[in-house]
Amino acid sequence: MSLSEIPKRRKKRNWAPYILIMPALLYLALFFAWPMARGLVLAVWDDEALLSIHAEAQRDSAVVGHIPQNAHLDILDQQGNFVPEEELNLENMLTETWFRVKGEDAEGNTIEGWAPDSRIRVREEAEDGTPLAGTVRTKLGTKADPLTSVYAEPNKHSQVVGKLEARTRVEIVDVALLEVWYRVRGENEKGEPVEGWAQSRYIQVFGDESRGRVDRGNTGQLTTKFIDKMIHDRFFLPALRNTLLLMVIIIPTQFVLAIIMALVIQARLKGNTIFLYIFAIPLGVSDLAVGILWFSVFTQNGLLNSILQYLGLISHPSPYLTAETRHWIIIAIWLAEVWRATSIVMVIVVSGLQAISDEVLEAAELFGANLWQRIRHVILPLLKPSLQVALILRTILALQVFAVVIALSGGDVVTVLANETFRQYSDFRNPNVAAAYAGFILLLSMISAIIYLRTIRTQEELAA
Amino acid sequence: MSVQSEAMTVQVSEEVLALHRRMQRRRKLNRGFTYLVGILIALWILGPLYFLGSMALTTQEAVRAYPKGVLPFIPFSLDTMRFFLNSAGIVPGVINSVIVAAITLVLSTLIAAPAGYATSRFLFPGRDFFRLSILAVRAFPIVVLAVPLAVVFISLGIYDSVYSLALMHTALTLPTTILVIGSVFASIPYELEEAAMVFGCTPVQAFRHIVLPLVLPGIAASAIFTFVMSWNEVFAASILTVQNRTLPAQVLFALSNSSEAYQFAGGFFMMVPSLIFMFFIRRYLFNMWGQITK
Amino acid sequence: MAEIRIEHVTKRFGDFVAVNDVSLTIEDQEFVVLLGPSGCGKTTLLRAIAGLGMADEGRITIGGRDVTYLPPRERNISMVFQSYAIFPHMKVYDNIAFGLKMHKFDKEEIDRRVREAAEMLHIEELLDRYPGAMSGGQRQRVAVARAIAMKSQVLLMDEPLSNLDALLRLEMRAELKRLLREIKATTIYVTHDQIEALSMGDRIAVMKDGAIQQYDHPSVVYDLPANQFIGGFIGNPPMNFMHGQVQRVDGRVQVRIGDFALTPAEAMLPILQSYDGKPIIIGIRAENMETLNQPAADALEVEVLVVEPLGSQNLLTVHIGQDIVKVSTHPTFKVEPGMKVWLRFPADKIRWVDSDSGRVLYP
Repeated sequence: MSLSEIPKRRKKRNWAPYILIMPALLYLALFFAWPMARGLVLAVWDDEALLSIHAEAQRDSAVVGHIPQNAHLDILDQQGNFVPEEELNLENMLTETWFRVKGEDAEGNTIEGWAPDSRIRVREEAEDGTPLAGTVRTKLGTKADPLTSVYAEPNKHSQVVGKLEARTRVEIVDVALLEVWYRVRGENEKGEPVEGWAQSRYIQVFGDESRGRVDRGNTGQLTTKFIDKMIHDRFFLPALRNTLLLMVIIIPTQFVLAIIMALVIQARLKGNTIFLYIFAIPLGVSDLAVGILWFSVFTQNGLLNSILQYLGLISHPSPYLTAETRHWIIIAIWLAEVWRATSIVMVIVVSGLQAISDEVLEAAELFGANLWQRIRHVILPLLKPSLQVALILRTILALQVFAVVIALSGGDVVTVLANETFRQYSDFRNPNVAAAYAGFILLLSMISAIIYLRTIRTQEELAA
Repeated sequence: MSVQSEAMTVQVSEEVLALHRRMQRRRKLNRGFTYLVGILIALWILGPLYFLGSMALTTQEAVRAYPKGVLPFIPFSLDTMRFFLNSAGIVPGVINSVIVAAITLVLSTLIAAPAGYATSRFLFPGRDFFRLSILAVRAFPIVVLAVPLAVVFISLGIYDSVYSLALMHTALTLPTTILVIGSVFASIPYELEEAAMVFGCTPVQAFRHIVLPLVLPGIAASAIFTFVMSWNEVFAASILTVQNRTLPAQVLFALSNSSEAYQFAGGFFMMVPSLIFMFFIRRYLFNMWGQITK
Repeated sequence: MAEIRIEHVTKRFGDFVAVNDVSLTIEDQEFVVLLGPSGCGKTTLLRAIAGLGMADEGRITIGGRDVTYLPPRERNISMVFQSYAIFPHMKVYDNIAFGLKMHKFDKEEIDRRVREAAEMLHIEELLDRYPGAMSGGQRQRVAVARAIAMKSQVLLMDEPLSNLDALLRLEMRAELKRLLREIKATTIYVTHDQIEALSMGDRIAVMKDGAIQQYDHPSVVYDLPANQFIGGFIGNPPMNFMHGQVQRVDGRVQVRIGDFALTPAEAMLPILQSYDGKPIIIGIRAENMETLNQPAADALEVEVLVVEPLGSQNLLTVHIGQDIVKVSTHPTFKVEPGMKVWLRFPADKIRWVDSDSGRVLYP
């Protein structure tokens, strides 16, 4: 058989793994990456910074300029315009209703056209409230034209198709709900005058209807005002200080305790599995429950005072979780976090310890190393990779302490960054500033991760 | 010469014996010390838990009393618990929590299982990048995600709903679930699948007859773990729900103006399901958390 | 009839060529061993035959049927895996019955065949047990029983004994050999253990760097290696190689090792004449040298460095020039390190190796 007859297999790519990870990727893109990007934008982008001013009272007419939010305006004129049904009932939005009416004028000609609802009294309604018929209202005042104009369009600037006398009976053919547009004059950010039309929904009108202010804009702009607001928030510095303080006292304690726990597990005592389960219990407990748990210990009538009372060390319960005893709140949060999150570090350390062969430890013992020397010179260096990962993980988690703080301090006396995020969002209804806080936490997480990775690398370089 | 060596042997062996005795004594001492440390740590973990449990399972008078006692010394009663469960928003909160956790469990497992299988069974370009991004996502702060997602959900009109909260919780648990399920699949040797194929299976049959029965316990454990993570989560739940609060969100909301009986019973009630579930999956704990180190 | 023909098969992993244009024919009911050091491509070749990793180029036929790109289940093969691949969630009975169930045999037939296979491997009492707590030897028997219960015409074995301890391996080796004779399947057996290969195979295909170096009966591979690699890989101790120089003295071709002159066999002279003045490598097995305790004209004087008594023989280590040479002697031959002995090289036992190509020269 010659070589040419032998078939060559075409190499085809195996798409199976890509198809299998696709749902997860799509999901994370949709519910993780996209909101994350939105969140960062939220912190630096003001959606309502500017109000576009149009040349005509039409949504699609040319934009002649922008007036910043909160700027004051002169209102020169107003006009109704169609508004899509889903946009009705917006805050501040002024509407007027026009009826398309059909009736006879003084000469007996049938006239059909639009008139504002202020000129028509509805006399008959369908069961669902749709007006069916009415009469033309009498005009008050003597100087006014006693006749009511009927227009070709639901718009006072359109052609007048006829005039109706007061009390004429008219059939109501159609109803149009219109949004009021104002002709306004104001100044843009550079102080240049801008004049044109804008929708009433964006404008707060003052009493005499000749002045108003831009309530919110409809055009976004890059801004630092949310970040400024966050930094100048009176809770920002205390929150940052407390978060960092907690990080500094929590993490080292956790690591020492976790290594001790791991060594106890690794000693393979009888009842080892029971120890392991007990040590792992906090893994499954929510942070809020842990907060309550330690609240029960530190509250004035709680476990700690009860024990001290039984022991006769105090005669009446002393308060811990009050504004006057902030240091006790910090201690309580510290203990609660150590109680809660040491288990994660322990599991990571135990996993790492299991990778160290017993022979290495036995060899160290054989050469006369005592327990401390073994930990210092054998176990810790071999555990380094596991400890690094645990350190990064714990730091990032420590930046997020939230429910424990709320449970122990009510979130006022001692506050942390995550709590401020929550407060800005929930209590102050300010998602942009909340997003700024979230972005700040993200930044801190990334910085600490990078610092850790850097230090590790330089250490390794030094060792090499 | 032979006599001399005999004498020497005896001498040495006595020394060795003494050394041996000393070593044994020291070992026993070490062992006792280790036990002591272990028991102290266990007390540190269990003590507060036991106190909280006592407070949750007694009368409200006992909760108000000072100094407080613990269970065998104070009356056992379901009174406090009943009071908590009858408080406003608790029963709906429990129902919401269960719905959210159940949807999260199903969604997360369904999406994570194929991805976990792919990362453990195929060597494909981009695999390391995928695993790394999963790890990065795993370490991301929840806080950072909750606010923008709330804004997105408001704009989509699906804010304040258990379903949208479940979507969020799925995003939070997905990375961990993928890693855990991946490790479960990786613990099944590929040779088993190959053997099944040699003995007459199609790849799909091999998966169904061999891989699936072997991974099911691990996947069940991971699903329970997902459930617990969702059941415990409080930050995103508080941000994303207003009317339809989950249990932790409801307790957090009511925390500042509620009695101690409410708080203690609430804390205990939230812990119990997690503790039971954790007990069932304790064998898999290292699979769950050990994964983070890899 | 299940003759296996492998034609110009190549398999690559990225840039690495694991199997390079291999052609091999295995007769019906023949037992062929694929032998080679780790990484030589023998397992890759076996997997291509099994269908677990398709060949990139070439053709594989079983019983005349082209199976190159068929999935494993359509190849009518069975296989014993290195790690045994026993399904841990099935009882031994179901493990053995698995393939039969997949091929939809009826219940009685499955039961008959499972019991027959179990009996052949003496594991009847394990049938109701789960494999979890079983020893390596027991798992190995289950894996073999599962493979032979299929009664496939082709049986593939991937280092089936490598995970057993030495004694058990020796026992299973003999048992497998008996079993395979009984079931009369065409068998391909992958191993890196040359003793297994020599003792079990009808033919041995020695592989290195993805290519077949020699494909012949065990005795031929042992005695007449195709190249220096095979001589050095097979045998315990492996073949000795010494550096020499071809020289023509008074019209006669001689090979010099230092001062010692070696006379080649008559048949080799025409070939060696072309190596006049060039270096050559002399290969000889330890057991093929005669050891004398006194000088002789045709014997080379060497100093003994190490003596290893192995019971059935004493193994001496000596230096000849730069080369370390192992010499096997009768256990009654009295020798101590530091003593001098004289070695005689029988002309018909010497293999001549081209020092450039490593090929063994044959007339």
